[in-house]
Amino acid sequence: MPNATLELRGVLKRYGSALGVGPVDIDVMEGELLTLLGPSGCGKTTTLHIIAGLLFPDEGTLRFGERDITRLDPQHRDMGLVFQNYALFPHKSVFDNVGFGLRMRRLPKDEIKDRVGRMLDVVGLPGVEQRYPDQLSGGQRQRVALARALVIEPTLLLLDEPLSNLDAVLRKRMRHDLREIQQRLGIATVFVTHDQDEAFEMSDRVILMNQGRIEQVASPEELYDSPATRFAAEFIGEANLIEGVVADVADGEAVVDAAVGGRYAARMPGGGARSGDKVYLMVRPERVDLATAPPGNGAVPATVTKRVFSGDLLAFTLRTENGHELVASKPSVAGYREIGPDAAVWVDLQDCRVLPKES
Amino acid sequence: MQERIGNFGRALFAPITVLYLLFLLAPISFFLLMSVFRYSPMELYEPAVTGENFARLLGEDYYRAIILRTLKIAGLTALFSLLLGYPLAYFLARTRSVWRGVLMFLVIAPLMTGVIVRTYGWIVLLGAQGTVNTTLLWLGLVDRPLKILETELAVLIALVHILMPYMVFPLFSSLAAQDPNIEKAAATLGAGRWRTFFEVTLPLSRSGILMGSALVFTLTAGAVVTPALLGGKNVQMLGQTIYDLVLSTLNWPFASAVASILVLCQFSIIFLYFRGGRRRAG
Repeated sequence: MPNATLELRGVLKRYGSALGVGPVDIDVMEGELLTLLGPSGCGKTTTLHIIAGLLFPDEGTLRFGERDITRLDPQHRDMGLVFQNYALFPHKSVFDNVGFGLRMRRLPKDEIKDRVGRMLDVVGLPGVEQRYPDQLSGGQRQRVALARALVIEPTLLLLDEPLSNLDAVLRKRMRHDLREIQQRLGIATVFVTHDQDEAFEMSDRVILMNQGRIEQVASPEELYDSPATRFAAEFIGEANLIEGVVADVADGEAVVDAAVGGRYAARMPGGGARSGDKVYLMVRPERVDLATAPPGNGAVPATVTKRVFSGDLLAFTLRTENGHELVASKPSVAGYREIGPDAAVWVDLQDCRVLPKES
Repeated sequence: MQERIGNFGRALFAPITVLYLLFLLAPISFFLLMSVFRYSPMELYEPAVTGENFARLLGEDYYRAIILRTLKIAGLTALFSLLLGYPLAYFLARTRSVWRGVLMFLVIAPLMTGVIVRTYGWIVLLGAQGTVNTTLLWLGLVDRPLKILETELAVLIALVHILMPYMVFPLFSSLAAQDPNIEKAAATLGAGRWRTFFEVTLPLSRSGILMGSALVFTLTAGAVVTPALLGGKNVQMLGQTIYDLVLSTLNWPFASAVASILVLCQFSIIFLYFRGGRRRAG
């Protein structure tokens, strides 16, 4: 386990009487890309600004290595921050933008020139030193902002939705490039986004936030496979949430009688449930098996009410015999192509998870 | 970016264009023409082209001193308005206080009373028996009242006060239009408050500085009432000189030459403003 470089403990920030964020505990590990993911207003940007020192928390502490930096001004934190709108200095050339942090550190001119040039190479923008921000494309500005944050060799790189102002094609490429640069430099990074795809493609770990609080901390795969709360299940991808009652618990798995019919064994990422508890059974659309003939394993009969073709995938909306709705996502291949609207099918659920009902 | 204006847009411009042609361009043309006519005690002027009005204006020490004094007071008024107005504009642009609206109103409020009223206010404050002198005497800082009225200082103080809104508002709008993230970015890169101010905030507010200074300079250069009431004969400026020449001396050709010089000074400043504003950013 690598060491934590930054530790937030019980950090809380209010805006007037409204809660901005907290209390939250966050550890940023050496060299990792940690993503704060959540809908707008969930406190992720507030958290990032607290880390950068642009906001001071009302409660809690920040430790950076051995230092308490809770009340340290941003100019002494040595963190590189890339803003959503880049916040380049419009009156300064690219060279002066990127070299700004080095000049503040009173480095000799030759060294500044050298390091600015090298950093522009790293971000893939050699030779633009003399241009001004308004002469650059959105993608180029983004790279300049990244170079400006990285050239000071920060101990932590902070990214505040840096890709959301780019067009779709560029965004995809920058995801890859950002991650590649981050891994090459081995710099611990906190990345803020509301975009689940971005979070999944780039992160080592994801902190899912909602209404100022942390819902779950997990790797992207774990977050998708085993969401701990109803919010996590619905914010990340699509999920069928089926009401059910726990019939039995054994070896950390629950056996649940589902309202759609049938009995399913399921893990409990959201914590232990007991026999008799009312719970949700969560199942991802691609884990809903469809068969056109009764498979004879307790599968539930259902009718296709809607079928949407989107090239590589087919999305089915199903109504079970006892009136529950389910969605299923299947590869657009022979065997599924033939299933049309109004077809009678048999449904089986795989990889179910139990979620507490009150969440 | 070039945008199509179209007939509708042109139609919208028509009233202001007519107004300017009638009441700005026509009078300016009139006195530019008049300024090269010869003065005649009997018929006001003779339509004979001559350079003698300008020769007298630039040749006589008395009038040269008036031109230089006008430029000096206009420049100093712009400078002190800037120095005093900038912190105020900066505060107004950055504060999230609920009092911001009230403070904005207080900045505009002086415009609601006439310039003569405000000038009389300064006479009350600055006179020998005025508040300033009685306070200084009471504090024991002076033995007898300072002579402030009828000095350039009195004119300067009053003009800075009267013209302050013209400085504060351009500054305010350029400061308020700045992306707040830019100052934050400077902070995260290691710049303290003062360095952030001089590296980022100040250069980015250049358009406001230029606009406010140009406004205050031109308004001061053309001021009549305040210099006349607070400066009297000791602080002759171009505005009052024109006034006297037109209404008392009735030397219209010479008055026109003085007016031409005044307008030339003001246009030069406006020209410099546009030259400066065209450079990068701000």
